[in-house]
Amino acid sequence: MGKKKNAKERSAYNDDMRKCITFIVTKDCQLACKYCYLVGKNSKERMSWDVAKRTIDYILSDTENFSDECVQFDFIGGEPFLEIDLIDKICDYLKIEMYRRNHKWFNDYVFMVTTNGLNYHSEKVQRFISKNITHLQICITIDGTERKHDINRIYKESGRGSYRDVVKNIPLWLSQFEGIHTKVTISHDDIPYIKESVAHLFNLGIQNVLINCVFEDVWEEGDDKLLEEQLIQLADYIIDNRYYIDHTCSFFDENIGHPLADDGNWCGAGMMLSVDAAGNFYPCTRFAAYSLRSRKPIIIGNVYSGTGINKNLLRPYLTLKRSLQSSEECMKCEVASGCAWCQGENYDAADTPTIYQRSTTICKMHKARVRANNYYWNKLFRKLELEGRREEFEKSKPTVNNTIC
Amino acid sequence: MVQYLIILLDDASTSYCHYSNRETKRLMPLDTLKQGILYAMKENLMIQFVYPDYELPQEYKDVIDSIDHSDIVSSSCEDAVIKENADVVVFNGWTDIDSCNLSDETAYVIRTNKADLFGKRQLLKSLISKTARLNVVITDVETFTEEDFGTYKEALAMLSEEVEKLYMEGKYPQMNILTDRMMLDKMNNCNAGWENITLAPDGCFYVCPAFYLAGDEEDFGLGKAKYSIGDLENGPDIKNPQLYRLDHAPICRHCDAYQCKRCVWLNRKTTYEVNTPSHEQCVVAHLERNASRNLLNRIRRHGTFLPEREEIKEIDYLDPFDVKEEW
Repeated sequence: MGKKKNAKERSAYNDDMRKCITFIVTKDCQLACKYCYLVGKNSKERMSWDVAKRTIDYILSDTENFSDECVQFDFIGGEPFLEIDLIDKICDYLKIEMYRRNHKWFNDYVFMVTTNGLNYHSEKVQRFISKNITHLQICITIDGTERKHDINRIYKESGRGSYRDVVKNIPLWLSQFEGIHTKVTISHDDIPYIKESVAHLFNLGIQNVLINCVFEDVWEEGDDKLLEEQLIQLADYIIDNRYYIDHTCSFFDENIGHPLADDGNWCGAGMMLSVDAAGNFYPCTRFAAYSLRSRKPIIIGNVYSGTGINKNLLRPYLTLKRSLQSSEECMKCEVASGCAWCQGENYDAADTPTIYQRSTTICKMHKARVRANNYYWNKLFRKLELEGRREEFEKSKPTVNNTIC
Repeated sequence: MVQYLIILLDDASTSYCHYSNRETKRLMPLDTLKQGILYAMKENLMIQFVYPDYELPQEYKDVIDSIDHSDIVSSSCEDAVIKENADVVVFNGWTDIDSCNLSDETAYVIRTNKADLFGKRQLLKSLISKTARLNVVITDVETFTEEDFGTYKEALAMLSEEVEKLYMEGKYPQMNILTDRMMLDKMNNCNAGWENITLAPDGCFYVCPAFYLAGDEEDFGLGKAKYSIGDLENGPDIKNPQLYRLDHAPICRHCDAYQCKRCVWLNRKTTYEVNTPSHEQCVVAHLERNASRNLLNRIRRHGTFLPEREEIKEIDYLDPFDVKEEW
């Protein structure tokens, strides 16, 4: 199977208008990644076809709550490809029903699967890809070099690292999709391996690396200095090897590290919808029980209730502003732009059960990132100016995707 | 800044708001009452005592009389002296109203569900002229449907006619759902957790009585709804106190339904966030706001009235959430 025009390249697709609907098809996974925020993974909560079908019927019939111009159907777990038969059936049914109902999403939909990549080569997964390639995005998570990947991404049974089983599927993945990206997660233990890992991913042929520090409170004294050192080494590597022309690493972004210019919320929770095996609806997957350490899940409806989504429960999300959840220090911070948060983690870590208290454990890591980011752009722009290529770069520079979850 | 301390003398003290009280008695220990009063004196707080229906022991009355305060009493209170001198008398439903000698110097609260409110609107109309102030508290506001909104709008219009007539007669009755908005040029909400807190019989502070009286198993989705914000020994310690302030209320800070209670308890119950009201609370408040607007305009047709107050603007929405893109 050769490369075909896939979902990412579809020009009609507009990220700002899309509705994200996430099917949590299973809470099981072959891996037990040490940094995983999913604290309640289990092999029992697998979505049934009845839940999936009822969810689709509800979503496609409720045109008031789902009036968006286009849609992205996400499949996550656990490891979603453990339920490839269900995913395949869901996608078939979605296509048939969108066509039968003459639904506006029929020509503006994307299926998105985020996977650990272990089953990518399987016959069933490959058949699914072949069937849906023109409307499909797949993100295989590979964390970098073998030693970095295997620090965290280990099998739950044996504790063995999963790198070798994932990396063998990367060439197949690259041969099937263009413009792909992988997501890299940074926690305390793997900071020393950031530079080598991003370099390794570039060398594997992955041109876009979405990378972020976890939002949980894991950071120790000196982690920010170490992060800064790693990112400066990475900056030198990207610039010296001219990867800036057609590769991106989301740690480096011209738009971060400035005073605030607006009061918008960072996170899209509430604008998306997640559904789990029990048919419960959530404002985002991070509000499901298996994602939360210390708080009860926020359930905004259930597919069996017959009443759909409780819109009152979405009001706090849809009116949330940065200033309403941030401290004065954050609002006045001179490098605030790009400092991210996860609404679910905020809720999980808050002193009261609220989404209006921003967790700031990432503060020093963001500031370290900003320092390295400034170094990167100052060095790159000087080099381009000396080479007389600044203007050319500005016209053709690759766009950084800053999706972080 | 906290200015008022509400002291709930008993678990069975009358409700004067959206929540329900308990039937089981639990009188605040005398020593707790004394400590609560001492705390209020030291913190310069005005006290509002909320009474149960039975007569308090004399030693309680003596302690209560040791401090300037307000009394909130049920119409069914057995202590005639307390009831006669109360600042606020509460009718829990409509059964006592006919038999009660209403005073035009007392403020009354009528706690009613929507069905009774709609069905007894003529009776309500007749009460307006007999009281100094009438507060209507709808106890099931979160259940309003589109049809209920329409019925409430009609009821407000009918009550407005009576208020207008009384104004023309030179009387100035007050009714929270109609006249408050005319008199206001900024938000005048309940402000529980911000300007007032409650001391309960267990010796702990709560944002308001509703947070104390919530059932032990009640959680509205997020875990225990019943939680204290401190005790007498250590004083109140409200976590995320900013969430009770108007400037941290995402919808209300843009709103001009100034008479709205902005009930943080209903907010918590219906949206899970104390700073965010439900659609139903917003629409009900805006129906009242618009009825006040119409009333003000009609009164002004008869002559100069509240010249210092600006006109209440005409708006084309009933729920500010619907125009959030304009903020």
